[in-house]
This record gives sequence, C-alpha cells and structure tokens, in this order.
Amino acid sequence: MSKFIHKVMLGAMALLSVGLLASCGSKSTGSANGKHQLTFMFRGGDAEKKAYGEAIKAYEKAHKDVSVKIIMTSADNYATKLQAAISGNKTPDVFYVEQNNLMAYADNGVLRDISKDVKDSKVDLNNIWKYGVDSYRYDGKQVGKGDLYALPKDVGPFALGYNKTMFEKNNIPLPDKDKAYTWEEFVKVAQKLTKDTNGDGKIDQYGTGFNVVWSLPALAWSNGADWINKDKTKVTVNTPKFAHALQEFADLQNKYHTTPSVKESQSLDTYQRWMQGQLAFFPVGPWDLPTYSKLKFDYDLIPWPTMSTGKPAAYVGSLGIGVSKKTKYGKDAADLAIYLSTNRKAQQILVDNMIQIPTLKDMANKWANEKDHGKPENRQEFLDIVEKYGRGLPGATTYNAEWYDMFYTDIQPVLDGKKTAAQFVKEEQPKMQSKLDAANQQKKTAEATAGK
Amino acid sequence: MESTVKDKAPVDGRKKRRAHDSSLYKNEHRVAFLMILPPVIGFLIFTLFPAAYAVFASFTDWNGIGQMNWVGLRNFQVMLTDNYFWKSLWNTFFMMIGIPIGLILSFILASALSRGLKGTTFFRTIYYIPVISSLAAIAIMWQWAYNGDYGLVNQVLALVGIKGPNWLQNVHTVKPAIVAMSVWKGLGYSMLLYLAAIQSVPQTFYEAAELDGANSWQKFKNITWPMCKPVTFFLVITNIIGGSQLFTEVNIMTPTGGSEFSSATIVWYIWQKAFKNFQMGYASAMSIILGIIIFIVTALQFYQNRRSDYKLG
Repeated sequence: MSKFIHKVMLGAMALLSVGLLASCGSKSTGSANGKHQLTFMFRGGDAEKKAYGEAIKAYEKAHKDVSVKIIMTSADNYATKLQAAISGNKTPDVFYVEQNNLMAYADNGVLRDISKDVKDSKVDLNNIWKYGVDSYRYDGKQVGKGDLYALPKDVGPFALGYNKTMFEKNNIPLPDKDKAYTWEEFVKVAQKLTKDTNGDGKIDQYGTGFNVVWSLPALAWSNGADWINKDKTKVTVNTPKFAHALQEFADLQNKYHTTPSVKESQSLDTYQRWMQGQLAFFPVGPWDLPTYSKLKFDYDLIPWPTMSTGKPAAYVGSLGIGVSKKTKYGKDAADLAIYLSTNRKAQQILVDNMIQIPTLKDMANKWANEKDHGKPENRQEFLDIVEKYGRGLPGATTYNAEWYDMFYTDIQPVLDGKKTAAQFVKEEQPKMQSKLDAANQQKKTAEATAGK
Repeated sequence: MESTVKDKAPVDGRKKRRAHDSSLYKNEHRVAFLMILPPVIGFLIFTLFPAAYAVFASFTDWNGIGQMNWVGLRNFQVMLTDNYFWKSLWNTFFMMIGIPIGLILSFILASALSRGLKGTTFFRTIYYIPVISSLAAIAIMWQWAYNGDYGLVNQVLALVGIKGPNWLQNVHTVKPAIVAMSVWKGLGYSMLLYLAAIQSVPQTFYEAAELDGANSWQKFKNITWPMCKPVTFFLVITNIIGGSQLFTEVNIMTPTGGSEFSSATIVWYIWQKAFKNFQMGYASAMSIILGIIIFIVTALQFYQNRRSDYKLG
C-alpha cells in the first residue's frame, strides 16, 4: 500500500516538475521550425493593436529567421501583468517600459543594457528626440545619463488646444502660436468666453476645464516652481511660487469661474464639453488626434500660458521599449526593440495609424510640415514641446511615485476652494517628504543588492 | 457499489484487516486516491504554496522583482503608523454596510416573488441579469450614471428638484455610491437563494401555525425566517469575505483611490503597493493581516451560528 502511494507520489512529483520546468523554459519559446521566437508584450487599445501588428509583420518580413509572439494587455492591466511575468521568471523578450519603472528594472537585472546593441546597429541617436533617449539612460544613480536600458516607443507632448471656431464666433483675436499668452491675458480671454449662449440663464460655454494632474505642471514650472529638487532628495512644493501657481489654477474655478465647478463637472465632463465645443481651451496629446479629427469645430495648438518666468512649460511623457536581460536571443530582441523605435518603415506605419508622432526628428519635421494635413494646423507645437520646453513628470524619475501621487490624492479641498494653496503645500510637504525618503531608501537597498 | 461494500463490512478487527487487503478495497482506494489527487495538488501549488510564500515575503523588503532581504517585523510596525492602511481598512468595513442592506432587500424581493404573482419569471430574470454581467462593464456603466453633470442618477434627481452631488468625486458620497452599486449587482444572487429557501419551507408548517391562530408576522418570524437561516448564514459569510476583497469596482470607478483616499479599499491599497510602488513585502504583510481579520470574523460567525443552531425534530 505505502509502496503504491510512494510510487504515485513519485509519479506526480515527476509530472509536476516536468510541467514546472516546461513552463519556466518557455520564456523564449526556442527555435520552433528553425526560427527564433521572441515575445513582445505591450499595451493599448484597438488602434495600437492594429498599428503594432502591422509593424511587427513588417519586421518579420525583413527578418525571416525570427518570429514574434505578441502579448497585449489593456493599459490598466499592463503594469500588474508585466510584474507578475517578471517575478514568475517569464519576462517577455521585448516589452514596454514605463519611465518610472526604469530604475527598479535596471537595478534588479530585469532590463538588458542595450547601449552596445544600439551602437552596433548604427542608429543615429542624434536624430531621435533627446528627451526620449535620455528618459531611458541610467547610471545607477539617476535617470538621464549613463547606459541605455530602452529606446523610446514614443514621446507624448501635452500641448494646449483652443477652439478656433469659438474664438471666431466671439470676435476674439486668435492666439499667437509663437507668443504664449501671459497668465493674465489667458484668464481674461477665458473669462470673455465663459458665458450663457442661449439665454436660459445658465452658463453653457466655459473658458477652461483642466485636469489638475496633467495641467498643473505647466503652470508650476512656468512659475519657476517644481515638486522636487534636482538631486531628487527634497520635496519643494512648500514655496510661495508653487503655492501661487496652484492657487491660480484653483482660482480658475473658484475665483475666475472659467472652469465649471466640481458640482457641475468632473474631468470626464470637461472632456465631453470640449468635444461638444463648449470649452475654449483644452489639452491635446498626439494620441487624441484620431478622435479630434472628427470634431465638428476647428481647433489648433498653442503654447501653455506663461507665469513669472515668462517661458511656457508643458508636460511630455514617454514610454520605452526594453529588452529582457534574461532573454535567450539578446541580439534579436534588441534588434526588434531598435526596429520598433527607430526604423523608418515601422515609424511610418505607426504614424499612419495616427497613434503617435514620429520618434525620428527628421521624419517628425516632415510630418509637422506636411501640406493639408488637416487639424490641428500647428503640429509644430508638439515638436517644440518635445524639443524645447517639455519636461517629464516629477514622479517618473524617482524610485516610485508614491510621494507624488499623494499630492493629487489630497488636493481636492484646494480645488474646491476649501483650503488655500499655501496652507495645503505647507501641510503636504512633510507627508510627501517622508514618502520620498522611503522611496530613496528603497532605491539604496536595491542598489546595494545590485552591487552584490 | 457503496452498499455492497457496506454489506460486507466486517465487525471484528481481524476480518477488517483482511478486508483492507481485499483487491476490491485496494482498487477502490486507488481510484479514490487518484480522484482526489488533482485538487490536492492544485491546492498545494496554487493556494498553499503562494500563501506560505506570502507569509515569508511579509517579513522581507521584497520589491516584487529582485532579491528578498529579511527585515523581521518591520513591515508590521510600519503598518501601525501608516494612515493609508487604516483609512483603507476603515473604508473596506464601511462599505460592508451594503451586506445587511442587500440581504434585507433581497429577502423582501424573494418574499414578493414567492407569492406566485404574474410575471415572476420575468422579474427573476431581470434581477438576475446584473449578477451575470461583467463587473468591469457594470462599474464603467455606473461611473457614467454617477457623473456629476451628465449622469443618469443626477438627472433623475433633478426631475424631483434635487441637485445631486458629484458622487464619485465627493468624499462623503463616493462610498455610499459604490455600496449602492454593489447592492444592485448582488441583489439577484441573494434573491435567488432566498427564493429557493422560502419555496422549500414545507406548507404543513404554515397550516399548523394557522390552526394555532398565528398571524402573518408570527408565521414569518417563527417559520420563514428561521427556515432561511442557513441561506442567510451562507450569504453573510460569503459577502463578508467578498466585501473584504472589494477591488474591481473601486479601481475602475475611482482609479486613484478617490479624492483624499476616500474610496480606497484595503485590497486596492495592497495592489497599489505591490504593483505600482515596488513594495511586495509590505503588500504581503498587509494581506496577511487582512487574511487574519477575515479568518477571525468568519470563525466568530460560525461560532455564533452553531450556538443558535437547531435541527428539525
């Protein structure tokens, strides 16, 4: 009897271990029918799926010995699934890297240093947005310099759009695309455009309706303020300049009344309002272009209004394409990442699908100056942000973004006018600082581990 | 098959041992063993091992992708002073308010539907549809309904002259809003179980009660409700366990945990720590605490239920 159980258990264990080994070994599925199979994990919606599907097909056509298996997730699920894959030792060969994960992935041996692969490929890095490339450089201490751990999949400049049709209807001179509004001018125009258009006593057209997360950086930076110091060690929100920028932002709703109040609206609403032509100004990213091409009114892009520094600022994001350090086919995988990020044909496919602006500067310049490309006319503004005045979000270059997220978690009373900005930043700074300290401590531990 | 084994069941020990040696006995045990093997292995791999792993991880500073370093009880100490932890725990328990509300409503509905009125099948289906619908889809739909400006809820309120709040952005209304949605979603399931319970109460009980001159309240209190107790018990237990793990609705309807952390549940916070902020060790520690809380609450429930249990004589 016990002998029998023993046998069965042995058999079961054998089966089990075979199964486990098999599943672990399948991360680079090996050379089925002589081909190197790579897995590529990325995220997005239907448009991305179609665009990247096409780009991958083009790659496979040009590289007969490689086949690519696509794993796609929704934007929400991506971070979770990727991390599960990494801790399960099934890291995809090539995958999207979010900016704020770069340090952790590099420190923990998840990402391959692709500096040499890129050098060997003879790709001209000078022709790729500096912001995009630098976002994936890391010297073991800070992001921005050092070895390359990924290439930009895209850069995402967040420009300010305005409803041209509404301006014309109200006989307001169109804003100059080369000379940004000062904050005072901007508020004045927004106030003029906030009104009741059908005479029912209710305001149905507003000047502004910005989401604080994506718009406040433009104002704070233009006012010479920031969330964090250069060394990434100190939270710097508790300054008069910062408080002023935040107060002005909140005042759009509570004092200038150009933003529908929270009672009347939430972020989703302002998006709807913009789409319905009820908002004068609204942020526009390259990913919005397919949807906005169907708008019933004409719109264009301008720089964000300037505060005390007199210079416009804007947020620019990026997503990278990285290669697993543990991949079986390092060269092929790096080659695929380089192809998706920098190959002209691939870029053309992605741009034709209207999911991003080109990562290559010369292509982007051509794209911006195409004739009759439809709205927005001033595509150049996107490029100016990326090249001249855009910046990454403060939370993207610290070990984790908990300290930065906290700011927005607690901000509602300021937006509602229940708390002054000055009071808020004073209370918030120590809380954020302790989270930042914890993140930096985490980073130190990871560094020590990486050094072992 | 079973009866044959039973029939041959020997009485004294010696014969018993011989029966154990019989080929039929062996054969049956072999089959039984093989039958239970897959779930046992599944349990070991997919439940016991990860749970043990999480317990271990809770004593480390694991970031989820790198090396684990033993930190002893530090994670648990940090938890004591972590305001977000306590707030999310409070939010989670607050939202359990939906459990008694849901049970009462579903019991009332089930009672109504058990009267054999016209259209019972129709309403049974209607109430059950939310149960089989995807939670993610429902959460998105309700997010629109709760929209402060264009939302259905506020439009309806406006009809009767009430200016509704911006449900999901307001610290005071976001939890009740999510509770209302959860109740709506779970109503059909509880209702169906209650319906089955109510309908399986033997008619003779009511007849006997009527002969004794019981009124309908007495009949309800002494017959229907006690007879439905096992269902209530089951629903309370499963709802508490499910309620402690509330996540999807919160994550979809308030992706940042609500303004001022007003809708973040404990599981949402655990997920945030584990997958957004590289603190898998701390997240594991929080889930261990959550597990212990659920265990204690459930054990209390069982204890309570056993004390007041009775059998039909």
